[in-house]
Amino acid sequence: MESSPFHKQHQETAHPLYENLESALANLSIESEYDVAEYGVLGPPVPPRRNQIRASTPNGSLSSGSLRESGSSGGGGIPDIPVLATPVNDPSSSIVMSLSSMICHRCNEGFEPHEKIVKSHGETWHQQCFVCAQCFKPFPDGIFYEFEGRKYCEHDFHVLYAPSCGKCNEFIIGRVIKAMNKSWHPHCFCCEICNQCLSDSGFIKNANRALCHDCNAREKAAAIGKHICYKCHGIIDDKPLKWRNEPFHAYHFNCTTCSAELTSDARELKGDLYCLRCHDKMGIPICGACRRPIEERVVTALGKHFHVEHFVCAKCEKPFMGHKHFEKKGLAYCETHYHQLFGNLCYTCNKVIEGDVFTALEKAWCVNHFACSICNDKMNQKTKFYELDLKPVCKRCYEKLPSELRKRIQKLHKIPPKKQQMT
Amino acid sequence: MSGGKGGACNGCANLLDFNKTAKIRKVIDDAREKGSTEIDLKEKNIHRFEEIPGIFNMEWITGLSLAHNNLKTVPASISNLYNLEYLNMYNNHLEELPSTISTLPKLKILILAMNRLSVLPRGFGGFAVLEVLDLSYNNLNEASLPNNFWSMTTLRALYLSDNDFETIPSEVGNLTDIQILSFRENDVVSIPREIGSFGRLRELHLQGNRLTLIPPELGQLDLVTQRCIIRLENNPWIQPIADQLEVGVSHVIDFIRTDQYRYIYEKQLQQGTTAPPKTNDKSKKISRRTS
Ligand SMILES: [Zn+2]
Ligand SMILES: [Zn+2]
Ligand SMILES: [Zn+2]
Ligand SMILES: [Zn+2]
Ligand SMILES: [Zn+2]
Ligand SMILES: [Zn+2]
Ligand SMILES: [Zn+2]
Ligand SMILES: [Zn+2]
Repeated sequence: MESSPFHKQHQETAHPLYENLESALANLSIESEYDVAEYGVLGPPVPPRRNQIRASTPNGSLSSGSLRESGSSGGGGIPDIPVLATPVNDPSSSIVMSLSSMICHRCNEGFEPHEKIVKSHGETWHQQCFVCAQCFKPFPDGIFYEFEGRKYCEHDFHVLYAPSCGKCNEFIIGRVIKAMNKSWHPHCFCCEICNQCLSDSGFIKNANRALCHDCNAREKAAAIGKHICYKCHGIIDDKPLKWRNEPFHAYHFNCTTCSAELTSDARELKGDLYCLRCHDKMGIPICGACRRPIEERVVTALGKHFHVEHFVCAKCEKPFMGHKHFEKKGLAYCETHYHQLFGNLCYTCNKVIEGDVFTALEKAWCVNHFACSICNDKMNQKTKFYELDLKPVCKRCYEKLPSELRKRIQKLHKIPPKKQQMT
Repeated sequence: MSGGKGGACNGCANLLDFNKTAKIRKVIDDAREKGSTEIDLKEKNIHRFEEIPGIFNMEWITGLSLAHNNLKTVPASISNLYNLEYLNMYNNHLEELPSTISTLPKLKILILAMNRLSVLPRGFGGFAVLEVLDLSYNNLNEASLPNNFWSMTTLRALYLSDNDFETIPSEVGNLTDIQILSFRENDVVSIPREIGSFGRLRELHLQGNRLTLIPPELGQLDLVTQRCIIRLENNPWIQPIADQLEVGVSHVIDFIRTDQYRYIYEKQLQQGTTAPPKTNDKSKKISRRTS
């Protein structure tokens, strides 16, 4: 049978052009944690599905001798031209069987003696009937596509039946990958993370993305807050061993000194890994915060060593980075939080008071800043002062206040304001 | 005055004037010579900044005290002194301020108390790092304030005692770092609830206003561990508050935390009682004087 490969395909699958990747899903038991695992199953490449008639006119190689005869003017055995004009099922036309037995495959009518006849795959057509089933135009360059017994020009076949690629949007001729509810050129179906081609390796559907196995594993590990081993690509269930900034299963390594299999508390030193015991023997300071060796600047405080960036305020956790810190009960604090928790800030400069503290009127001052709130003259332990809105006012300034205000101040205090002395 | 006597007095005045100019010059010259960063010109009978030679070229200074003088205005060129952290003009005759004052990028303490301010310039609240602002004893009220006044979120102390405020705008709640807030002896009729949420408040001065009720939210203020001091005397409080105040502020705070008070408070609000009359006599305030 001369049917086109295309036709042949048609008989085997719902859509002859497609390799339906979804159909093989059930056989695979991978990654059931995600929606569906889809897997690409790829058959042998599909042969060309394009048909070409060998000639576009009845005089071409396609036409049989009888056609040529029927078209010749030399009086052969085809005298009865009018007969051809009659319907082919007209019994009276049977006299010219060779011509009248040929009917157009489309319109079921016979042919005129000199008419051009198209013959394809054993069927004959009027030239005007051998046209695209969709646009009724002749096939450009004689190229047509056949589907369910109908013939289409290339353009209309694409429009009607050929899938377009989910990535590049072009028609797909040849092998089609059907996955993720779309069709793809084989080279266009790629992992959405690493872009590796998935057509032959299969894929995992992850959050509605098609991913390669490696990327899916990484995504999955990230989703459950775990690391992927940089060496074996497996999920690391316990603590990872970080080496050169990548996570590994600790058991892939051995101690540089004693060769023991390492655990996650192994220490890296100048690019090599050591077990805890061997590392401690080498006498490198360990950070009191992160428990890792300190190879660069060491901060020593609170009787411990720290990485510069790990010596932080116990309240706000910002590193001091060389700035002043304040110690209290084995913890270090930044200036602000030390005050907030334990200390006094100077009312004037708002800094933690070091050294002598002046306290009065529910406030505190550093030595330099205890002064009259009006004239800013320095005061000391012995200076007498008045109070206004809980601020100290020196005698001289108090006496300069308008008398109406002094009266009010006295009234507020009910009794004439006693000269206050600092406590 | 007339005659020879007058002439003699003129001579005296000139001599005084000469003395004053010499004193100011000495302070300035000393400061230039030593490169001092703090200049103290208090009590120098200064009427105009022009009497201080070259002050606006001394951009290195960080502190300037002009307390107890007679300044009426501040020139816009005050902004030349961009290193100022402390500026004190307590007890002058200031009636207005230049808007450039709030461009001083390092100013932390600004004392403008006891002047004649009834308005503040537009954009006054634009200070970058102001921590202490004393505007006590002026002629200010809520309408005197520019729009951005309450956006000075770096303030830790705001003194508005002895002014003419009748309401405290609820925008006061923007001052989240405030530790000291003083409205002593204004004409304030109510306290905004927002004050209850000041987590760092240490002093709240509300004596001598027209207050009758305390929002229950002020019960959140921490008198014990924060050692917050609240002053409530001389207000026409409703009787139950007045009774508690007799025994102490902590009793008032305990009382306003009760459901009973909450009920009283909401009831009073619904009734919409009329504000008590103004009783503070401000006619003798020197801030009221005009030149
Ligand atoms: Zn494509
Ligand atoms: Zn991938
Ligand atoms: Zn591994
Ligand atoms: Zn080892
Ligand atoms: Zn560390
Ligand atoms: Zn801190
Ligand atoms: Zn200080
Ligand atoms: Zn003083």
